Amino acid sequence: MMIMIRAIIRPEKADAVLAALMDAGFPAVTKYSVAGRGKQRGIKIGEVTYDEIPKTMLMSVIQAEDKDFVINTIMNTARTGTKGAFGDGKIFINEVECAYTISSGVKEGAEVAA
Amino acid sequence: MKEVIAIVRMNMMNQTKKALTEAGVDAFFAHEATGRGKGFVNPQVLAGAEDGYEEAASLLGEKGKLYPKRLITIVVEDDFVDSVVESIISVNKTGKPGDGKIFILPLGDAVRVRTGESGMKSIS
Repeated sequence: MMIMIRAIIRPEKADAVLAALMDAGFPAVTKYSVAGRGKQRGIKIGEVTYDEIPKTMLMSVIQAEDKDFVINTIMNTARTGTKGAFGDGKIFINEVECAYTISSGVKEGAEVAA
Repeated sequence: MKEVIAIVRMNMMNQTKKALTEAGVDAFFAHEATGRGKGFVNPQVLAGAEDGYEEAASLLGEKGKLYPKRLITIVVEDDFVDSVVESIISVNKTGKPGDGKIFILPLGDAVRVRTGESGMKSIS
């Protein structure tokens, strides 16, 4: 079975995470920019609250057995400092039923339920 | 209900939109993204490097470069998945690495904001 990992991380950590994933043997990643806030309701600096904080979303589809390894790789790289800090991001996991490679038309994964 | 996430080439977007409309999909959501795949080597560059061209050899080390892509998200009924996938592949297939990927994800529910309808009603 395949799973989709979507990690919301700090934009400045994106390059480091991409390099770590490449070294770990997971080259296939899609990256896009997002904006959002978390449980801390954004950042309050003085009187101004910033609740649309720029983040980077990394999306990758991998085999389910590699899940823990990839999550640990992303987490260890994306964390700031030794303990981590608010705003380091989140990782979400989804099931993927099947995946097609467009260039070859090859289908991977379980059959789509009709 | 299924969520179809397709990553395609930037310049294929217009054809893809047309093909999706012909396949009966009116609603979708597109996003600019950058990405990389399994990192196949361009055969022309490889041949150039073997012939001793320095420019080609320097390009070989460029692993992990992110290429601009389009990310399309479509929510369709289960029966539609195959025809949508087929139409995306038929338009975007050039046979070379970088054509993109299509992922099919199960989706629990959807709600139309305007009317509050949920389930199949919200996407049909």
